[in-house]
Amino acid sequence: MTTNQETERFTISIGPQHPALKEPGSFQFTVDGEIVTKAYVRLGYAHRGIEKATEQRNYIQDLYLLERICGICSHIHATAFCLTAEKLAHVEAPPRAQAIRVLVAELERIHSHFLWIGVSAHEAGFDTLFMYSWRDRETVMDLLEGLTGNRVNYSANVLGGVKCDVDKEQKAAILAGLDFLEERTRHYFDVLTNDSMFLQRTRGIAVMSRNQAEVMGALGPTARASNVARDVRVESPYAAYKQYPVNMMLDTRGDLEARFVVRLNELFESFRLIRLILDTLPESALTVRFPRRIPGGEAVMRLEAPRGELFYFIKSNGTDKPERVKVRTPTISNMTSVIKLAVGHQLADVPMILAGIDPCFSCNDRTVQLTNARNGSSNTMTWEGLRQHGIEFYGGKRK
Amino acid sequence: MNGLWAIVALVAFPGGLSLLAGGLAYEWVDRKLLALFQNRVGPRWFQPLADTVKLLAKEEIIPDKANKILYIGLPIAALAGGLTAALYVPLAGLKPTYSFPGDLIVTLYLLSLLTLCIGLAGTNTLDRFSMIGATRTLTQVFSYEAPFLLALLGPAVAAGSWQISTIASYAENHWLILMQPVGFIVALIGLMGKLEMPPFDAPEAHTEISAGALTEYSGRGLAFFHLAKAVELIVGLTLVAAIYLGGVSNPLWFLVKTLALLLTLIGIQSLFTRLRIDQTVGLWWRYGTILVLLQWLVLILVKRM
Repeated sequence: MTTNQETERFTISIGPQHPALKEPGSFQFTVDGEIVTKAYVRLGYAHRGIEKATEQRNYIQDLYLLERICGICSHIHATAFCLTAEKLAHVEAPPRAQAIRVLVAELERIHSHFLWIGVSAHEAGFDTLFMYSWRDRETVMDLLEGLTGNRVNYSANVLGGVKCDVDKEQKAAILAGLDFLEERTRHYFDVLTNDSMFLQRTRGIAVMSRNQAEVMGALGPTARASNVARDVRVESPYAAYKQYPVNMMLDTRGDLEARFVVRLNELFESFRLIRLILDTLPESALTVRFPRRIPGGEAVMRLEAPRGELFYFIKSNGTDKPERVKVRTPTISNMTSVIKLAVGHQLADVPMILAGIDPCFSCNDRTVQLTNARNGSSNTMTWEGLRQHGIEFYGGKRK
Repeated sequence: MNGLWAIVALVAFPGGLSLLAGGLAYEWVDRKLLALFQNRVGPRWFQPLADTVKLLAKEEIIPDKANKILYIGLPIAALAGGLTAALYVPLAGLKPTYSFPGDLIVTLYLLSLLTLCIGLAGTNTLDRFSMIGATRTLTQVFSYEAPFLLALLGPAVAAGSWQISTIASYAENHWLILMQPVGFIVALIGLMGKLEMPPFDAPEAHTEISAGALTEYSGRGLAFFHLAKAVELIVGLTLVAAIYLGGVSNPLWFLVKTLALLLTLIGIQSLFTRLRIDQTVGLWWRYGTILVLLQWLVLILVKRM
């Protein structure tokens, strides 16, 4: 039977509100039975205008704001902003501060990857693993709380250094926590690579070749699972990664299983790195003086967030407020691969493919496109236009 | 007197209200233990009842372009099917309320009514998730129904009767789980497929298609479908326990055996990843059916000798 896909399309909308999505994003999948023949994504539902808002605040206030771009990888955003601003101001944080930044970043990576294991297991319908991995994630969240005082937005950074120090008790607590987590990670590694029921859902699914990954601009663990050697911590080490080099975790297979393996191997690498940092933490002050006004200039910074490369750009104009801050998060780069890889797969695999890149919608929504639901016309608005539209929409008279 | 007893049996015990209460209680055991196995707290003992009361009190929204009669009638038919099936099985260790030669087949078909109703309910609305869910539900019926039927007919052949009470009394002297282990496993897993329990919950995989075929249902219809599922759980467990686990001759044995079966089901639910619908079909036709047929072959050869 031939189906004319243009006239007999059966399109399934997933999102903006859907149980598979923890954050809003809209996907449209055209299916032929269970097979996806066409995929379309629309983003921008969680756009909060943070980039614009940074222009009205000074650097110190921006630090708090930018840390809240993402709820999972909050520290890496703050670090990225600090490092970029420090580059512009020609200030360098002391070595101990840099090491603590890396320490918290690696703890955050553990936190993020554990969360991801749970989410992917849930998408695959393996709720037991979901519950267990999230229970274990509590351990690393407690460690982060003990270290910085917060479970989610750690706020460990200040411009020119860090706020928190590691004392003996914290060190012991972290080491004990790591031992537990390492044991659990070994167990999950065993489950995720040996459980035949789970492998049915991951092995050979959504295979992305190295070439495809490069063409689609995949980043982070998603790219590394396709054997693309791309890890900012290795290729251009920042903060204390020069002193604490990272081994890049690669896999040649490029399927969902490879993405699990790469992320779990990264967990082991993080455990090793954290232990090393705790043993050889350099002695120095935690902060240096940071000027209120930053001389005019532009700087970019690349960092390795748990999900991939995070890019920051700051343009300063000599005042205490940045003129422009541009953030690009890894999800937006990886989203292309979801749309490409979903085609030809079963509808049941789609949530797994989407979860495979570890998407974070609120991070990636840097822009919003307004579409008129009635006639389908869409337009992009300027700041002034949006403001005017808001005033007219609510019928206000104030100028 | 006979008429009065019939009314009591239908409305209060062992059918009717006590059956509904039992179904909800078993549903609670299922939810609570699954939660404990998954390191969660789980619901309080009255949660299934509270859910049902809440749903019954809610407004029922009938979607546009859905056939109203079917939309309202299907949940009632599903629940009626489950309740009727209960009359032919030895509930609570008592003799079946009604019994006639061949009631095993009738019971099995009454149990399938729920799945068919869910499938039809899904196709009755225009919702995309319902459509896909209904397709998957009906696909799943075609995959597990044949092996499930064959697995329950194996004991019938051994007992030489297609009457549940005769098979049950035969089973009291013969633990058929030992004689027909393949049939037992297939029947148990077939029951999971029937009840759309994980890992056979592709038809209502909520990360893909929300609630599947029942996405558009709310209020009374949804409550009836839930009740039907709870009833089917208890009826299915009774049937498998009576046939394979040496009969359920008294209430205590009934409780012990059905709960032991339920525990097994919960273990399976918490251990495995959801199967895709094509994997479900593959599992049943490639392994389930063939193994049961092989067992049939052995059974017939043994009977001949």
